[in-house]
Amino acid sequence: MAGQGLANISSNHPRASKSKLVNQEHHFYNVDGVAKHTAHDLDEIIAKYRPIVSFRVKKSLGSYTPDWEDVVNEIMLNALEKIESGKFRGDSSIGTFIYTITSRRIIDYIRKKSKYLKYAPEPNPYLQPHEHVENKERAEMIAKYLERLKPKYKEILYLYYYKELSREEVATKLGISPRRVSERVNYAQKLLKKMMKK
Amino acid sequence: MNTCKFEAQIDDYLLNKLSKIQAEKFEDHYFNCASCFQLMVERDEVIATVKLKGEQIFSDLKSESQTIRLPWAERLVGFFSPKQWAAVTLSAALILVVVLGVIPQFKSSAPQFQLDDTIMRGQTLTLISDAIPAQFRWEDLGENVDYKITIDNHVQLWTATTASTYITIPDEVKAKMKPGVKYFWQVKAFSKEGSLIAESSKVQFSLSD
Repeated sequence: MAGQGLANISSNHPRASKSKLVNQEHHFYNVDGVAKHTAHDLDEIIAKYRPIVSFRVKKSLGSYTPDWEDVVNEIMLNALEKIESGKFRGDSSIGTFIYTITSRRIIDYIRKKSKYLKYAPEPNPYLQPHEHVENKERAEMIAKYLERLKPKYKEILYLYYYKELSREEVATKLGISPRRVSERVNYAQKLLKKMMKK
Repeated sequence: MNTCKFEAQIDDYLLNKLSKIQAEKFEDHYFNCASCFQLMVERDEVIATVKLKGEQIFSDLKSESQTIRLPWAERLVGFFSPKQWAAVTLSAALILVVVLGVIPQFKSSAPQFQLDDTIMRGQTLTLISDAIPAQFRWEDLGENVDYKITIDNHVQLWTATTASTYITIPDEVKAKMKPGVKYFWQVKAFSKEGSLIAESSKVQFSLSD
């Protein structure tokens, strides 16, 4: 879980344990002595990017992969260390910087696994979204709302999401334009969001 | 409302329909765009549920072949969004205005009479001398046509009808015409039954002072 992951980072990181990060607003310094980031900054970075990194890792490795949380921890730790040591110079956005670290780590992980399992197929980097579903109760709730949608919205989600037809194929099937397909899918999503908020 | 241009790629990314390069660009984007990431998480939940519980959710649709076939009128209505329909209606109205209002202005006008260059020069003619041309000429429109010539200076000065393609102005009319005054002449062609077949443009001329 995400919270546990944060604890893992804290325990592995000599200078950035969570309690220190929150309680002491001290600065991290580069070799040149210029203050770069406060502990509060790093805390914010963890809070902001850990869910994004987790999403990316789970999408690539699959949430069934037991190591996914370790991979996320390693990425966050690596990113924090680089930021702290001034290796992140702000040439790109911090988001792009963390994305690059994440992508490299995922590739490394897949390569390592492929090495051990010599004849195993290369892991599919893009796994099906349903592998992310963890909260069964929430899934039940969404399913209930999906069932309540008007037929024209249900039908479009069935063809586009469930059958995974292209927009053009769905458009041909329903006799509407591809643009209208996208609009109808978006509207169905909005309706669901509205229902879930009630 | 402004939406991020990457929003349109969320579904394709989640359904693995983007190319490797497109997916990488999109990933880089959502690491930097909190709103796209939030929207993607929401959509992922819905897609994931559809994948997981599709059989149950879409049990009433059963199979592709049994998907609802809307009547043609409803399908036609559904082809465009209300906004697009509004645009289509507006465009159709504009086209109609152009067709009914503007194009008739450009429809081929009645045959233009070819005027004898020695007598008339262009639409506005100032005669070189104070002599009034002996004859006005126009193009022949065939047999059984009568030509009615009119000379006026806002008040009709003279009119005559002939079957020839030229006419000589009588002396008494010439006598009425004064130098420096603007006159107009025009020829209309009529069938033997008296129907107007064609008319020339009204040509202005004046005698020099």
